[in-house]
Amino acid sequence: MKWGAILGVTLIAGLMALYEWPKIGQNQKREKVVFVTLTAMGWVLAVLLVFFPDIPGPTQLIDAIFKPLGQILEK
Amino acid sequence: MIEKGKISSLQMAILMYPTILATAILLVPAITARHAERDMWLSPIWASLIGFLTVYIAYRLNRIYPKETIIEYGEHILGRISGKAIGLVFLFFYLHTSGIILREYGEFINGKFLLRTPMIVTIGSMMLVTAFAVRSGVEVLGRISQIFVPINILLLVLLNLLLFPELKTKHMLPVMEKGIMPSVMGAVTPQSWFSEFFLASFLYPFLTDREKGMKWGMISVLAVMLTMVVTNIFTLLLFGEITASLTFPVMESSRYISIADFLEHIEAVVMAIWVTGTFLKISVFYYALSLGTAQWLNLSDYRPVVLPLGFLLVVFSIWSAPNLSELSHFLGTSCSFYLSSVQTGIPVFLLLIATLRKGKRSGMEGRKR
Repeated sequence: MKWGAILGVTLIAGLMALYEWPKIGQNQKREKVVFVTLTAMGWVLAVLLVFFPDIPGPTQLIDAIFKPLGQILEK
Repeated sequence: MIEKGKISSLQMAILMYPTILATAILLVPAITARHAERDMWLSPIWASLIGFLTVYIAYRLNRIYPKETIIEYGEHILGRISGKAIGLVFLFFYLHTSGIILREYGEFINGKFLLRTPMIVTIGSMMLVTAFAVRSGVEVLGRISQIFVPINILLLVLLNLLLFPELKTKHMLPVMEKGIMPSVMGAVTPQSWFSEFFLASFLYPFLTDREKGMKWGMISVLAVMLTMVVTNIFTLLLFGEITASLTFPVMESSRYISIADFLEHIEAVVMAIWVTGTFLKISVFYYALSLGTAQWLNLSDYRPVVLPLGFLLVVFSIWSAPNLSELSHFLGTSCSFYLSSVQTGIPVFLLLIATLRKGKRSGMEGRKR
């Protein structure tokens, strides 16, 4: 099941690259680098979440920062 | 400039209306009711003050830097490194909040309508549609909103009219029994939604008639406020005290509609309102995020980043919360301060520095002469 999910994530990343790559101009080096980096970030995160669904996320970070204020509204 | 499209300020106002309202009538009435109880219809009025302030600030900043968004003028105001840092805060913020919005949408659709569909499918298909809308540019977004929003408003009015026979005014009384404070406390969560009006600053540079930008922004805030007041009054008159314990009050209220045993099960209409509304909401957030990312990295076009960011957004939406009740708790507590401190707090600070700097510069020029 987990390997299936990883296969799916990889497939989507591949399809995105197939769709987008020909549309980026020949001399747009920067765009290509950004595209690859962002897709790789998404892929790594997705794979991590498949194996460890409970890793603390951005919501926990924000919750930790704003907790003192948020407690006013606790009810 | 990266975006070549132009929209009118009326289109901007129409686009901002569902951007705030789409999820504001989903979870927020219940959160407001928890604090304000019978005064919950007053809360949006207090909350809208933040909306007016935010539109004013976004407009003033746009007057100083007419052709730029916050990602670019942040650098002009604070210098290169701290400007980039502010830009990164905004990008992370929009990535996170768009993830949360997607999750709210997924939870709503999977909890109420498509019970046996995996959530990743609902979220992913929505993401794909918005990705194509965002790739088409701001003009297309403006026109989509012109088609969808009038229909949405019509359906909302119809829904409320059909509820009329079920309403009981005794639920509303006494008004302001415990003074003004409960309704102000109830306003804390809706005000964070009103702070999302700062997204208008990503649309201001592309307006054809910029001088009307503030007027239409204010009208949009007013329209959102009135709609929230009306929906809150109707849910209150229908449910009374139990509104706080429902998850989607407006949704539940549509189940009460039954005219002559013939006109029943109007939930599909509510779903239509929300799917189109959230579609526009996610598109605007996603558009701001892609445009901001492209400007932050000095790219020549924002289109290449749209799909990878969509992929990241789906991952973030799964990551942002383990389940609906924790998401709702987060939205009702810490998130209220998070949204408004980023979208209203930081711009106020930037505007202050920009005005001070401008004053200093003109003062120095005056002395030279």
